[in-house]
Amino acid sequence: MTSPAPAIPRNADYFSFLGLPRKLMISGDDLEQRFRGLSRQYHPDYFYNAPPAERRMSLERSSYLNDAYRTLKNPIARLEYLLQLEGFAAKSPEEASKQVPPDLLEEVFSLNEELDEIRDMRAGGAEPAQIAARLEQARGPIDAKRAAHESQLEQLFARWDALLDRDAPPAERTPVLEALRARVLERNYISNLLAGIEKEMSA
Amino acid sequence: MSKVVGIDLGTTNSLVAFVKDGAPVVIRDRSGDGLVPSVVNAGEDGTVYVGREAQRRLLTDPSHTVYSVKRFMGKGLDDVKGEASLLPFRVAGDAGGIVKIGLGSREFTPPEISAFILRELKHRAEAFFAAQGEVDNEVDRAVITVPAYFNDAQRTATRDAGKIAGLDVMRIINEPTAASLAYGLDKRHTGLIAVYDLGGGTFDISILRVEDGVFQVLSTGGDTHLGGDDIDLLLMHKVLAETGWSQSAEKVQEIRKAVIQAKWDLSDREETTLNGKRFTRAEFEAMIRPIVDRTLEPCRQALKDAGLEAAQIDEVVLVGGSTRIPMVRRLVGELFGKTPHSELNPDEVVALGAAVQADILVTGNRDMLLLDVTPLSLGIETMGGVMSKIIMRNSTIPATGSEMFTTAADNQTAVDIHVLQGERELIADNRSLARFRLRGIPPMPAGLARVQVQFQIDANGILSVTARELRTDIEQTIEVKPSYGLTDDEVERMLLDSFEHAEADFAARLLIEERNEAESVIQATEKTMRAPEFADIAAKDLAAGEQQRIEAALADLKAVLGGDDREAIHEKTHALNDATKHLAEVAMNRSVQAALAGRNVKDV
Repeated sequence: MTSPAPAIPRNADYFSFLGLPRKLMISGDDLEQRFRGLSRQYHPDYFYNAPPAERRMSLERSSYLNDAYRTLKNPIARLEYLLQLEGFAAKSPEEASKQVPPDLLEEVFSLNEELDEIRDMRAGGAEPAQIAARLEQARGPIDAKRAAHESQLEQLFARWDALLDRDAPPAERTPVLEALRARVLERNYISNLLAGIEKEMSA
Repeated sequence: MSKVVGIDLGTTNSLVAFVKDGAPVVIRDRSGDGLVPSVVNAGEDGTVYVGREAQRRLLTDPSHTVYSVKRFMGKGLDDVKGEASLLPFRVAGDAGGIVKIGLGSREFTPPEISAFILRELKHRAEAFFAAQGEVDNEVDRAVITVPAYFNDAQRTATRDAGKIAGLDVMRIINEPTAASLAYGLDKRHTGLIAVYDLGGGTFDISILRVEDGVFQVLSTGGDTHLGGDDIDLLLMHKVLAETGWSQSAEKVQEIRKAVIQAKWDLSDREETTLNGKRFTRAEFEAMIRPIVDRTLEPCRQALKDAGLEAAQIDEVVLVGGSTRIPMVRRLVGELFGKTPHSELNPDEVVALGAAVQADILVTGNRDMLLLDVTPLSLGIETMGGVMSKIIMRNSTIPATGSEMFTTAADNQTAVDIHVLQGERELIADNRSLARFRLRGIPPMPAGLARVQVQFQIDANGILSVTARELRTDIEQTIEVKPSYGLTDDEVERMLLDSFEHAEADFAARLLIEERNEAESVIQATEKTMRAPEFADIAAKDLAAGEQQRIEAALADLKAVLGGDDREAIHEKTHALNDATKHLAEVAMNRSVQAALAGRNVKDV
């Protein structure tokens, strides 16, 4: 027998819908299990014979569940979603790419110099292998920055989750959320830099 | 209660299956044949043949016969112009519009042709249930399978075909997923599964995780225009290069039949004969290698999309007739590093899975659940002819996405939206699905309106759109104009036409039978009256005025014979029959006597 699918509560978010606290570190297996369990409850396959209103709700709920699962599965999408929920939404990637994050100024400056030189080499008819080696060298500092970024992000994830565990007041949460938002912008910027190098390599 | 079935509407063959006592079974005809060739013959007189008979007519009446119509589903004329040359039927339609199939003087849309096949399967199932002594043997609901890589237009065309055939299409499901459902029935399979499905016209690869009875697709890929047909075409080109290219349509179909036989032979043997020459498996493999190679890249991409390495796949399942080719098995085995499964008949496994899904829908049985994905990203056209993605490919369905629109001019009350599917950046490289016009936006200064458009992909992988102006909370009206599909009105009309045509087809058949009957009576009468001894008969045996009565009846019948009035033809035929009854008796007696006198009957 099918049980009716209630409407999605107005104040629901992806975390609460899956029965999770708003933590940034999530166990993949746990998420998968919750996703499968809720799919079994809400999927339209089980409401084929139900009245139209219930069918519509089943479609809404399972669509919402799938969106929630897809967002929370990916750590960065999860982070961006949390920032949005907490009112710290990062700017759009287009906007973010215009402004160099302060932590990256030095690297961006030297990368741009390198890229200019590489373009000159190319114009001067340098060997492709030589150019590739130079590009590989140029991306070294950016890759290092990326690795540092990953570990900073991991630490911030842990700090946020700890704040939640002890139900810390907003005054303590705000600096962590701001730091997380800065990391998202930085991440987008690094991705754009790496994409630029890839493009230069395939040129 | 009426019956539900699962249908595999294939490029080459179609099947229908149902669940009996918890297990799916294919419905076969009396000779045990489960396959209905997806071939339709529609003669000028309105008679339609489907399946084996249509396949026979492909050799004698190719210009009225269509095969592989699945490759045309949801396509525009411009998409398929290139492949019309060796097809026996006409590829027609308007430039920029939906493709049409021309058979003699009639034209059909691909969903109408597919509907003939679906109706045949429906009849087959109904006849089967009737023979089983079921009280209510009507089959009015079905799950129909499509290639996983089918886009929205192709799925919608398939659903339309079902509607035209008078079926309630409960669900459209993906073929590889259906196959995995059939394989997973014994609950033996848990873990990561790759389903490689190479059929007559389409190729799919799906990567699934199976756990707790949930069949979750992680990624999918494919090519909806790659399959056994392409192999046949290569071999046909080889033979035509030997025989010369200008051949009659009948001869081309003979060659097609021969190359298919050769292809089948080489799955079991090392060599065969083609066009009177020795043809080895090695030659065959060298020829088709590029086609098989084209299937491997989507496999690698699907693995990448699922975030997996080939070595992590636990089991590989083969589906589709083309996976009988040894080289396909070998290359797939090498790619995934394990021997693929093929315990179940690759032709039947999809229909079995569709039957299981149909059973889940009607019983609400929660032991198993299919969670599929959308194969292509969905987006809209933005400034500069660029596609902005709203729902990414490989998103679990049902899925939603939304986008905010505003107005560019003061008091603008409508916004045009172009919906696309595909992975490329520029709209020209993606598939146009539909154009929508949002109407009823309240007049306000430019840029102030906030219209939220919600895109919903349902569990069939089919899109619907709703919109709302947020400032006024007014629901917008949306007119859907599918780029390569039928409108709801057209589908409705075709469904009604099919009922009317069913009667018209029947009437046409009766008229032809009546005319045939009339012509044979006329011929017999005229033959007797032309015979040398008729003068003698008329003088000695016929009553006064009898010959005149016969001649009048003959003239009466000839007068109505060319018309469509079946009743009149029937009546005048009877009248002539009556008028000539005595003459026929006399003539017969004379011929008998002549025979007894030693003369040959033929001389009479």
